[in-house]
Parts: sequence; structure tokens; C-alpha cells
Amino acid sequence: MILQAKDLSYAYKTKKDRLVLKQVSAEFEEGRFYAVVGSSGSGKTTFLSLLAGLDSPVDGMVKYMDEDIQRKGLNYHRKHHISLVFQNYNLIDYLTTEENVRLGGSKNPGSLLDKVSIPCEDWKRNVLQLSGGQQQRVAIARALASEARVLLADEPTGNLDEDTTQKIIELLKKMAHEHGKCVIVVTHSKTLANEADEIMEIDRGMLKKREKFKLDKEAI
Amino acid sequence: MNLLQRAWCSVIRKPVRSILLLLVICIISLLFLSGMASQTANIATKDSTRQAIGAGFLMTKNAENESKRVEELSLKLGDKEGSLEGYHQKKELIDGQTMWRTWTDNVFHCIKTEDIDKIAGVEGISDYNITTAPTRVKASEFERIEDPDVDQTNDFGGVALLGNRDMKLDANVLSGNVSIKEGHMVAPSDKDVCVISEELAEKNGLKVGDTIGFHPIKEEEPVSEAKIIGIYQVKEKMTPYMSGDTYRSENVIFTDLHFPEKAEQDTPLFECAYFKVGNVDDYESVKERIKALDLDWELYDLIDNNGNLNTMAENFNNLENISETMLWIVAGGSFVILFLIFLFWIRNRNNEIGVLLSLGISKSKILLQIVTEAFMIGIIAICISFVVAPATSQAAATYLVGQQEEQAQLEKDAVEGQVSTEYKDVKLTITGVQAEVTKDMLIVDGLGIGALIILSTSAASILIFRKNPKNILSEMS
Repeated sequence: MILQAKDLSYAYKTKKDRLVLKQVSAEFEEGRFYAVVGSSGSGKTTFLSLLAGLDSPVDGMVKYMDEDIQRKGLNYHRKHHISLVFQNYNLIDYLTTEENVRLGGSKNPGSLLDKVSIPCEDWKRNVLQLSGGQQQRVAIARALASEARVLLADEPTGNLDEDTTQKIIELLKKMAHEHGKCVIVVTHSKTLANEADEIMEIDRGMLKKREKFKLDKEAI
Repeated sequence: MNLLQRAWCSVIRKPVRSILLLLVICIISLLFLSGMASQTANIATKDSTRQAIGAGFLMTKNAENESKRVEELSLKLGDKEGSLEGYHQKKELIDGQTMWRTWTDNVFHCIKTEDIDKIAGVEGISDYNITTAPTRVKASEFERIEDPDVDQTNDFGGVALLGNRDMKLDANVLSGNVSIKEGHMVAPSDKDVCVISEELAEKNGLKVGDTIGFHPIKEEEPVSEAKIIGIYQVKEKMTPYMSGDTYRSENVIFTDLHFPEKAEQDTPLFECAYFKVGNVDDYESVKERIKALDLDWELYDLIDNNGNLNTMAENFNNLENISETMLWIVAGGSFVILFLIFLFWIRNRNNEIGVLLSLGISKSKILLQIVTEAFMIGIIAICISFVVAPATSQAAATYLVGQQEEQAQLEKDAVEGQVSTEYKDVKLTITGVQAEVTKDMLIVDGLGIGALIILSTSAASILIFRKNPKNILSEMS
């Protein structure tokens, strides 16, 4: 077990009496691909933020390798333990493709860009000149660059077409199964969720495991 | 990628943003340098007094020292009534209460003749003159010049006598303003003589050789008579000693040195002495010989043709205050402008800040990156301003001096007609303004801009850095 959520509760500062997450507990292991699903406003992105150390819970804790992430600091946790991929890619607009990957900590961004199939002629281009799918792959390459053992992704295929979504899913699966990372994806996409080794659903602030979706009938 | 690399990429690849900040910092730096240079600007002026001095020295009483002497003499007399060296103190009963009345007389204000003689005896001094203070007396059986539109209630109703040992060395004559129209000037050997204005002569039908009489302001007797030996004319009206028609230019009558005290029935009041240097080439050595004399120099101001050797007042000491105010306004304004720029800058970089935070880069390092970028641009801007500063500082100092001149003129225009005078002031002509940008100024400017950048970026970053990374990332999506 590399990452653990233990009795996590969370409320917004403006509505302290209303818990978004209610004593959520979960355990995540390396080499596995997890999908967290739930309706809009269910608290799944908040859950991911707490795992990433972007915010602190009002109660409970997040443990990395059995140690509370607050002990070494959230900055340290974000820098060394996890890497993040967002729906809107979140690349830095004044840097090139290669420099964005280097930002993650890699000294050899070329090999990572190769892994995510970005052609070398695009490495020196400004990152905003790439297509949406390419930008998301650059974001994944940047996440790989940190050599963190946990990859957290928030709607990584939200803005992409079907073909590109499929490529990104393959890439995420590859990272979990071939590179041994713990991949946790928050998604609305049933297709993406069904590719995961384990699906978790957040409903009214509570977390539970669930079966794979039956794509022709069910809806999230 | 380290902080410096990121900062450099941001500066280079966001040219519009960088150029805008560069221009703003450059302008701020120039304003700072101009303000500092103006504070120490050297204003070369030319007034009629200095112009009149030529190759000579003018000796006057030091006003500051006179106040000090009053205090000293008062202390010496203590609680007793009495007089000492022209200072008097007396107890008087006013409205049932005992009050002290203190005053000084001509003895107190008069330049000592032995001191004049000492300077006159210095090797290299070829001639000298003594001039009295304008002495108010009443005209006997002749009419003075009056402005018919002005209320004369508060005026003395007299004329002003200006005694000279040697009139050709009087400041008004030396400046070229006063010249003889008929007759001749007062010479050292003359006694009971006068030179009147052409206006006064015309009004009273007086001519050279006539005799006119004067008596003290408060008494009709005795009448002292002086023979008219000359009639003078002026290029510009002489500056009045005080407002009122007694001191108006046309009513100034030049006399021999001792006639004013005779007409006023008082002790003499020698206001200034002028010493002419025989050979202009010896000017500096004569000056040194004068300074070496055993005189109580605290009593006097000695003015040479470059200005006062001791304590001549600066004509434009206000410039320093104006420049200082300007510096504070620039500093305050710059802080607000830079704060708004950085606020806009940081808000527009929400996305970047969110990404960096998600990568585990601390808020302080992100702020440091922004400050570093500002410094990179700031250093270039300051370098540009250093190159341009000498020209702009000169222009700013000249402009400030010009504004002061204009302001002075406006103030003069505003009070024109409110006092009973038609006289023109002594014209102070600015012959040049020299503003120098020194190494110290460049250092202060650099440090000031640096401090402003740090303060304004820190203040601007508070808004965003108060938020946690999750909030920032939520705003992004």
C-alpha cells in the first residue's frame, strides 16, 4: 500500500457545517489503475485534491508509505510523492514542449516525450502550438518526469475526442502496469472507468467500491 | 528547470508584458534621478547686486548675528533697565501691567567705521564707499512724488535720503541703473549736498545749484539744507526699501555720507560698504588679505562677485524642498503603479502559479521567481535610465526653476496694485541651471527601485498567495 486515505472529512470554509466528504477511507497500491467516479459535486475532485496535498482535510489524514503527508509538508508531498494531470492540461504557456517536461524534474525530456509519442520536431515548439491530445500527452510526460510513484489525474480525457481518449487510456494503463505506478483517475467517463483495475464511487460524500459499468444501459 | 531559467524564459517570451514594465521602471528611475539631481542643482543667477559688485567686495551686517547679539546684550543687562551697544530695554506700564519694551537703534545696526577703515587699508583696495540705510525725512517746502490713487494714511509722508561717501561707487550707479543727467555725483569731499531724481526736479521746478530743506519726520525743526549738485535718471525704478511713497524710486535723494544723520537728527546708520579692487588680476589675493584681517567676521556678510563669502542666502533654496516633495510623490505614485501592474501580472498568471504549486514548488519560490523577473527587467530599465538621466535631469531642473520663476511672477502679479508702489523688483536673471547625476545618486536610485519592486510584488502577491493551491486550481478549471 503506497497511499492511504484514512477517515477523510472535508468541508468548505464558507459552509463548515456541510461535509463534502464524510470519513472516507481508501487504500491504493502501486502497479494498479484506479478510477474514482461520481456525479457532479459528489466530492471526487476534492478527494483527489486531498490525496494530492493541494488542500487539508478537516478531519482524518492522508498517508504516503504509512506516513502522514502533513509531517514532511504538503509541498514536499506534491514534489516527491505524486504527480498530477489535469483536464485542461495546465502547461506553462511561455515554455516549449521540452521545457514543460523538464519542469517536472527530468533531465532527459526527449525519452519521456518519445514514450508519449510526441514527435521530436514538436519538442522545441511552444506548447500551445500543439493539439489538445498532444498537450495532454505532454502533461503526462511531465507527470512521468517527476519519477513520483503515484499519478493523480483529474478528468484527463475530458476535453479529448474518442481516438485520443483511447490513446490516453492506454498510456495511463501502461504507466500503471508497465511502469509500476499507482494511477488514480477521477472521471466521468464510463469507458475510462471500465479500463481501471478498481472503480470507486463517491456518493453524497461517502466512498464505496463498485462493479464495472454496463456501457449500453448504465449511466453515472 | 530552475527558478532563474524559468524567470528568464518568462521575461524573454512575454515581450509585451516585459516592455511595459521596462518602460514604467525606466520612467520611475528617471523621475527619481531627476528629482535627486534637481535637489543639488547649481543655479547660476545674476542679480543687480552681484552685477554691481564687479571687481570689488560688498560688506553688510549679518542679520542672523544681529538677532544673536540682541539675546546676548539682553542677558548681559539682566533684569535691569538700561542700554548697551545700541540695545535698549525698559519697563513700561501697559494696561496696568509691567511689560518690557526692547529696541535697537542706529548704533546697533551701523557698520563700525574702524572695520571699514581696516578693509580700506588693505593692499590692493584702490577706493571705497560707504552707503547709509535709506533714511526717511520730510521735505521742507518742496513736494514729493505721490501716487494719487493710493491711500497714504500709513505712509510716513516723506522722502528717503541715501547717503554715500562716494556716489560713483553706490550699488545703483555701479549696476548702471542710475546715471547723472545734469551736474555731478557726490564726491568724498562734499558736504550738505544732494542729487535728486529728474521727476522730483521737474515736479518742483528744481535745478542744479538750488537748495532744498529737510526736517525729521516727527518734528518741523531743525530744517537741514542741502545744495542740489546733480539730477539723476534711472533705467528701471529702484527697489523700494519698504512699501509706501516715502521710499519710491523718484523720492530717493542721494546725499553726502553724513547728511542723512543731520537731517534725521540721529546717529549715523551705515548699512553697507563697498571696496574696489584696483587691479582685477589681484582679486583673489586681495580677498585672502581681507579674510586674514583681525575683524569680528560674525558681524558681517562679505559678498564678492561670485556671491557671499560667508552667509549669503541662497535664492533658490526652495528648489531642494520642491525636489524632495517630488521624490516622495514619485515614490508613492510608483509604489501604487507597480503594485497595480504586479497585481494584474500575478492575476494573469493564475494558471502558471497553480501548475507550479501542483508540482510542489513553494509559494515563496514562486514569489521569488516573479521578483527575479521584475529585477531582470528592472536592471535593464535602470541601465537605460542611467544613460538618459543626465539629459532628463537637466531638463527637469530647468523646468522646476522655470516653474518657480513663473510662480514668483504670478505671486507678484497677484499683489500688484495692493501696495502703494509702482516699483519694479530687482531682476534676478537665471543664467544657467546645472544638474549633475552623481554615482551616489545612481546607487540610491538602484536601491530605491529595488525596494519598490520587492514591496510592490510582495503586496500584490498577498491576494493570490492567501489562497490554497486547490482554490487556485479550481479557478483555473
